[in-house]
Amino acid sequence: MNERELLEAVGRLPKSIEPPRDLWPGIEARLRRSRRWYWVPLVAAAAIAAVLIGRGREGYQMTWLAGAGTGMLRVGEWVETDDSSRVVIAVGHIGQVEVRPDTRIRLVVARSDEHRLALAYGAIEAKVDTIPRLFFVETPVGTAIDLGCAYTLEMDSLGNGLLHVTAGEVEFQGTGGEVRVPMGALVVTRAGAGPGIPYVEDASDALRRALATVDVRAILAAARPDDAISLWHLLRRVEPSQRGAVYDRLASLVPPPPGVTRDAAVALETAALDAYWTHIHRILFRKVMLRGVRDIDPRTGTRAR
Amino acid sequence: MYALCLRLTGDAGAAEERTQDVFVRAWDKLRSFRGESLFSSWLHRLAVNVVMNERRTTIRREQRVTPVADPEVLERGKGEPSVGLSIDLERAIAALPEGAREVFVLYDIEGYSHGEIAELTGIAEGTSKAQLFRARHLLREKLNR
Repeated sequence: MNERELLEAVGRLPKSIEPPRDLWPGIEARLRRSRRWYWVPLVAAAAIAAVLIGRGREGYQMTWLAGAGTGMLRVGEWVETDDSSRVVIAVGHIGQVEVRPDTRIRLVVARSDEHRLALAYGAIEAKVDTIPRLFFVETPVGTAIDLGCAYTLEMDSLGNGLLHVTAGEVEFQGTGGEVRVPMGALVVTRAGAGPGIPYVEDASDALRRALATVDVRAILAAARPDDAISLWHLLRRVEPSQRGAVYDRLASLVPPPPGVTRDAAVALETAALDAYWTHIHRILFRKVMLRGVRDIDPRTGTRAR
Repeated sequence: MYALCLRLTGDAGAAEERTQDVFVRAWDKLRSFRGESLFSSWLHRLAVNVVMNERRTTIRREQRVTPVADPEVLERGKGEPSVGLSIDLERAIAALPEGAREVFVLYDIEGYSHGEIAELTGIAEGTSKAQLFRARHLLREKLNR
């Protein structure tokens, strides 16, 4: 065998090898164990950083794209792009925000322990790498709270818009309540109503239409196991008399994790809802991670059969 | 992920451990994915880092390296008539000395450059090239027997 033949043989090696057993139970157990201590070092690091760095940053560096130079965006100042300009704002040391054309945005707070912008209208693309709840974007209908992520946010001056999360998770707190939008999901916002119900990227048109009008019967009919994040949110939106039906549909599509009871979920007990959310989120996380590699059962997060 | 871990470690048990490590680390570090590359690329690099970090830890702990090949696991699930050479090659790769195996897997199978391998493994680029030469030589020798 010469070198060319060797490399040809290498090229024929299988891209994937199945492990001898399902590794997911072990992963899940470790995630559960690590969850309790997950934030301790991060919070400690943030506290130390806040002490060391102080409250010194009063503005952000801006870089106008297409050669228009750089500048500082001070607290209280606005930056506005026209129909052909874009600007990248360095958000301290934690990330950046690209301001797209036809956008108006203001710097509200620039501290090591809080970074806050206010989007009047237009579109931004944010990429942030820090502990959760340090980076905020205010909008006419609520506030996008970074939980460690990348996302795009576009909105008109009244608050009609769309949040699309491409990594991590974003919490959006608005007049209509609070929603959690994980990687691979979107939420529509409406003037006067705040955030709608989040949905996954491949949600059907029927489900999207039903979510827009909160047509509970149509939502339940159109939902697939992949749409569990929508049903989880719907559970908190509907009248108490409808919660049982929503829960039953959700549980039939994605069975709840151990410890989550129907009574607790229908009563909107925080511990039960959080546990269910973590379960749903992990399934979605695994599905996105293994997209193109392995089919995942959206009901359980295990390998599809 | 498992294939990458198995080829890098040359050991089925270690590959299972590292695969689990990768997913746990990915969950913890998901916040740091900034969308500047494909998610699969980010995950892939994370996996290589996990294996390399574990290797460094093990070396520090034991001050010796004990690669263990488990060819049996490489034979599972392969039924096509043309896989004989693949099995031999997988076995031969698993039996390579650790440094040569890592460079060979990263360069010839996974497509990393010598510069990237140097960064990932902490060796010099020249060492990476030498290890690759050594690995190819050893593989050809083994497969020609």
